[in-house]
Amino acid sequence: MRWILFIGALIGSSICGREKFFGDQVFRINVRNGDEISKLSQLVNSNNLKVNFWKSPSTFNRPVDVLVPSVSLQAVKSFLRSQGLEYAVTIEDLQIYHEMDNIAADFPDLARRVKIGRSFENRPMYVLKFSTGKGARRPAVWLNAGIHSREWISQATAIWTARKIASDYQRDPAITSILEKMDIFLLPVANPDGYVYTQTQNRLWRKTRSRNPGSSCIGADPNRNWNASFAGKGASDNPCSEVYHGPHANSEVEVKSVVDFIQKHGNFKCFIDLHSYSQLLMYPYGYSVKKAPDAEELDKVARRAAKALASVSGTEYQVGPTCTTVYPASGSSIDWAYDNGIKFAFTFELRDAGTYGFLLPANQIIPTAEETWMGLKTIMEHVRDNLY
Amino acid sequence: MQPGRQRLPAPWSGPGGPRPTAPLLALLLLLAPVVAPAGSGGPDDPGQPQDAGVLRRLLQQAARAALHFFNFRAGSPSVLRVLAEVQEGRAWINPKEGCKVDVVFSTERYNPESLLQEGEGRLGKCSARVFFKNQKPRPAINVTCTRLIEKKKRQQEDYLLYKQMKQLKNPLETVSIPDNHGHIDPSLRPIWDLAFLGSSYVMWEITTQVSHYYLAQLTSVRQWKTNDDTIDFDYTVLLHELSTQEIIPCRIHVVWYPGKPLKVKYHCQELQTPEEASRTEEGSAVVPTELSNF
Repeated sequence: MRWILFIGALIGSSICGREKFFGDQVFRINVRNGDEISKLSQLVNSNNLKVNFWKSPSTFNRPVDVLVPSVSLQAVKSFLRSQGLEYAVTIEDLQIYHEMDNIAADFPDLARRVKIGRSFENRPMYVLKFSTGKGARRPAVWLNAGIHSREWISQATAIWTARKIASDYQRDPAITSILEKMDIFLLPVANPDGYVYTQTQNRLWRKTRSRNPGSSCIGADPNRNWNASFAGKGASDNPCSEVYHGPHANSEVEVKSVVDFIQKHGNFKCFIDLHSYSQLLMYPYGYSVKKAPDAEELDKVARRAAKALASVSGTEYQVGPTCTTVYPASGSSIDWAYDNGIKFAFTFELRDAGTYGFLLPANQIIPTAEETWMGLKTIMEHVRDNLY
Repeated sequence: MQPGRQRLPAPWSGPGGPRPTAPLLALLLLLAPVVAPAGSGGPDDPGQPQDAGVLRRLLQQAARAALHFFNFRAGSPSVLRVLAEVQEGRAWINPKEGCKVDVVFSTERYNPESLLQEGEGRLGKCSARVFFKNQKPRPAINVTCTRLIEKKKRQQEDYLLYKQMKQLKNPLETVSIPDNHGHIDPSLRPIWDLAFLGSSYVMWEITTQVSHYYLAQLTSVRQWKTNDDTIDFDYTVLLHELSTQEIIPCRIHVVWYPGKPLKVKYHCQELQTPEEASRTEEGSAVVPTELSNF
C-alpha cells in the first residue's frame, strides 16, 4: 500500500514539478544478522538519500526491500558495497504497470488495463483502454511506445499521456470529443523484456530478448519484424545486428500480440508509434521510396501536428515519409498498419536531436510529453473528423 | 537544441531549369562532377525520386561532420559547438567520386543541462564544404565559423578546466557519464568535455557518406600521470550510428594542454567488417610510456 501511495505521490508531484520521474529502483538486500540490519537502518535514516523501506526489516535471513530514488542510486550502491551488503535490483517494470493500474482505478468509467499477451521472458503485455463505451468495436486509435527499449522518453511520454487522457476527459473539449467518437488503446511498454534489461544490464539495449538458435546473439528488432516487406531493405538477417528482422514476420511474440489484437478488433483507424531520438514526425513508407496513396493528406496532418507541438516550447520536428526522412526500414509497425487499412499511421521520433540522444535528462520528460500531447491531439482530432 | 530548420535560397537555375515546386530536385540533379575529367560522371538517374528530405538530411549530416572536425581542430574542451540550424546548402553527387556538400549553418555553444532556453545559447555561424568520398571515411572538410567567444575568455575557461582536471583525485574507472538518466555530475563535467572533444576527432575520422555518429555515453575513464604538465586520459566511449542503429565502443586516448593541439589515439570495435579502425592523429610524436593497455 505504501508503495502505491508513494508512486501516486511521485506521479502526482511530477506533474507539479518534481524533477526525477523514472528510474527509482527497488533493491532487494540480503541481511544476515542484526549488525547488517542496523547498517541498513543507518542508510534509511540518512535523510538526504531519501531511501524508504518497502518492507521493514524485522527478522534477518529475509531479504529486505528498499525503494531508492534515482538520484540516490549511485550513492546507495556505493554504500551497500562498502558495507559488504549483497543486493539485487528487482524487476523494474513494476512502476509503469502499477501506474497503469492506478489510472484504471482512479478513472474506472473510462480506463481499463487489458492484458494482450506475454513477452518472450513471460512478462505481461498491458494496454490501457480508454473508452466512453457506447457501442461495440468503436473506431479506435493505437498508441504504441517503448518498442525499442533504450528509447526511455517513449515509455515515459506514454505513461504521462495515459494519465493526461484520463484527467482531461470532460475537462478539455478536444480529448472529450475524441473519446466520444473513438476508443484509445495505449501500450506504454511494447518491449518489456528489453526495458527491464536496459534498467538492469545494458542501458543501450534496443531489441527483444529472444534466443536466436545457432547464434550467441540475443534478440530481434521488433520494429523490423512486422509483416510489411519483411526482410527487405533497411533490415538485417544477422542476429547480432541491431536491426535484425528475426527469423520470420511476427516471430517476436511482443509483435504478434499486438498484430493479433488489432486484427481481431478490426476497427483501428490510427496507429502512432513513439520512438526516440531525432525530432521527426513520419508517415509510410519506410520499406520503399514509393509514395503512399494518402501521402498528401498524411503530410498535411503531420505538418499541423508538428506545428502544434512546436507551439509549446519551440521544439522543431521535421516531417516526411520514413524512407527519405530518416532511412529505409522494412518490416516496421506503421508500414504494416497502413498496409492493413489503418490509414493514419505515424511515427514520432521524440527529443532530442542528438545532444543527449537516448540518455535524455529526466527534467525533459514532462516538457517532451506536454509538447508531444499537442501533436497527438492534432492527429486524433483529424482522425475524429475524417473517420472512414 | 533545434534540428536543422532550413531556409533554402530561391529556386536555382540549373541545367534542367528551375522548378518552382521542387527547386531542390534541380540541386540534386546538378550535373557538375566534383573532380573528374570532362564527360565522366553523370546525373542521378532521373527515374529515382529524391526529395527535399534527402537533401535536408545530407546537409545536416555534412554540418555535423564539419562540426566534429571544427571542434577537434579548435582543441578547446570548454567551448564546444553543436548544430543549431541548417540555413542553406547544396549538394553534388557524383556516383563515381562521392558527394560534395556546401552548407551554411548556425551553431550553439554546447552546454548540456544549461538553464538557458533553446536558442539563447550564443549563436555562431559557420560555412563548410564537405566532401564525402565514396565508401571511404574521413570526409575532407573546409570549415570556417564566426567566433562565439573572445579568445581571452576561451583561454581562461580552458585553463580553469585544465586545473580542475589536474586536481582530480582518482577518477573512477568504470562510470557512466552521463548516467542512465542523462545526468552529468558537475564534478565530472571536465572529464566529459574532454571526452567529447576527443570523440569529435574519432567521429570525424570514421564518418562516411552513409555512417553518421553521435556520442552516447562514456563507460570508463582513466587518468594517467604525466612527466610534463599535460592532461592524459583514457576513455571508453559508446558511439551511436544512426542508419544501422549500432552502438560502437571505442577506446580513446587523449593528451591535452590548453592552447596546444589535441593528441588523439583511438581504436573502435567494428562489428560488421573484420577490419578495425585504428589511427593516430598526424603529428603526434609524444606517447606517454604508461600506455600499455592498448
